[in-house]
Amino acid sequence: MGVPCVTTKYLVSSMSKITLTNGKTVTKPFNKIWIVVAVVALLLYLFSLLIPFDSSTVKLEELKVILIKMFTPKGNRTWEDYFKYLLKLKNPLIDTLNMSFAGTIIGSLMALPLAVLAAKNIVKKPYIYIPARTIMNLFRTIPAMVLALIAVFFVGIGVLSGIIAITLFTFGIMSKMLYEVIETVDMNPFEALESTGATKTEAFRYAVLPQVTPVFVSYLIYIFEINVRSSTILGYVGAGGIGSVIKDNILYNYDRVGASIILMFVVVLSVQLLSSFLRRRLQ
Amino acid sequence: MIKFVDVSKTYPNGVKALHGVNLEIKDGEFVGIIGLSGAGKSTLLRSINKMISITSGKLYIDDVEISSIKGKELRMLRRGIGMIFQSFNLVKRMSVYNNVLTGRVAYHPTFKTVFGLFPKADKLMALESLDTMGILDKAFTRADQLSGGQQQRVALARALTQKPKLILADEPVASLDPITTVQVMDDFAKINRDFGITVIANMHHVDLALKYATRIIGIKEGEVVYDGDSKSIDDETLVQIYGRSLRHDEVLGE
Repeated sequence: MGVPCVTTKYLVSSMSKITLTNGKTVTKPFNKIWIVVAVVALLLYLFSLLIPFDSSTVKLEELKVILIKMFTPKGNRTWEDYFKYLLKLKNPLIDTLNMSFAGTIIGSLMALPLAVLAAKNIVKKPYIYIPARTIMNLFRTIPAMVLALIAVFFVGIGVLSGIIAITLFTFGIMSKMLYEVIETVDMNPFEALESTGATKTEAFRYAVLPQVTPVFVSYLIYIFEINVRSSTILGYVGAGGIGSVIKDNILYNYDRVGASIILMFVVVLSVQLLSSFLRRRLQ
Repeated sequence: MIKFVDVSKTYPNGVKALHGVNLEIKDGEFVGIIGLSGAGKSTLLRSINKMISITSGKLYIDDVEISSIKGKELRMLRRGIGMIFQSFNLVKRMSVYNNVLTGRVAYHPTFKTVFGLFPKADKLMALESLDTMGILDKAFTRADQLSGGQQQRVALARALTQKPKLILADEPVASLDPITTVQVMDDFAKINRDFGITVIANMHHVDLALKYATRIIGIKEGEVVYDGDSKSIDDETLVQIYGRSLRHDEVLGE
């Protein structure tokens, strides 16, 4: 009847039962993903009922006004002032990059021993890896902003509190990501090292570390990228850097806020490009 | 000399892997262990360097009873025993040379080896082992770039660098093709002959075991059912070890 002849022609008699031409049948199991999709859709609908939405409060003109305020010089200032101000931001920018860099390195190095203690395949004792995991989960529940607030209490306003916040934040995520990598490592070389009479430390150094190092470095670069972004916000609670500049000007000098945002945009973009380039080279 | 006296091993899950094993293996022997999968071959082999601890009986290596030793003493025992694995167990991302050098780790204090500090003599030893195995030209290649046969030779070089008296091989050729298998088995024969190193190997292919080993130990359900010269073994004995006649995949068939 004009239907092309296919060797494995089959009839779909129902959603799940497939009959081959030779009479054999196979039953395709119900895909549970549809339950998940339905639940998510339902929740999304229910939550949307909770959001008051009034189209009269949306003022697109206001958005236009603030964008113009931010990206043009204010009052009697000239464009020259605007760009000169960008150069003046050099020092707070260095502060921002400084706290991201120092925090990433210190936090990552601190995470390494904790990640080892949390890895079930290396430390087989639950009374060690369970507390280790609890510590890292604890640090991960605290947002970087809150860490910075607490740090400001202890060491006062400035870059140091930013470094402490970034360090603890990095420590929390790096230890979690790293222990998961350690647990997926090929343990056969570890067994081989132990069979040569090496201690567990030595076996870890020679059999596990070489497998973990490239991933560790890749995560390090990625977390640095995240930290550059979040450290701009930290200035808001007193941790110094670009964030404090934005905070100081947000009420009166929109143009200066705009300049800071442009600068951060360029810096974050460069860090991202550099990060993805370096991480690709590590593969 | 290795001596098993009434050795048994029961795993925590209740599986009896070895049952009343008595054996004596002299220095310089080439022993092939044959038997069905799950017969206890691997457990027997791994009990010798205590990668698996026996549950009863006594096991002597050069008159030292090893079932009670631990810590430093155990590591001293292990560094004199090379071990070869079915899946080579090399650190894939590391160079061949660095893999072989790990055979010397147990000879030095941790604070030195952790920083990768090895005496010049050890570095030379590693390169010489690679030369013995005929892969010196691959020394600075990453281990995962080599073929299976070459990787097993690197593993052998690592074992040789330990300067062992004994090499344990757990299915050393099971993941190699037939031609490479013969080459690697020749390497074992060479090591056994030229350096007088005792070789104990578990083997899946019976004909290979009969060809290379001078002595065959047949294991069935955790017990030694045959122990003797590889030349005097006949089909009837093999049926006794395997409980049936051999399948074609249990002989290499040359």
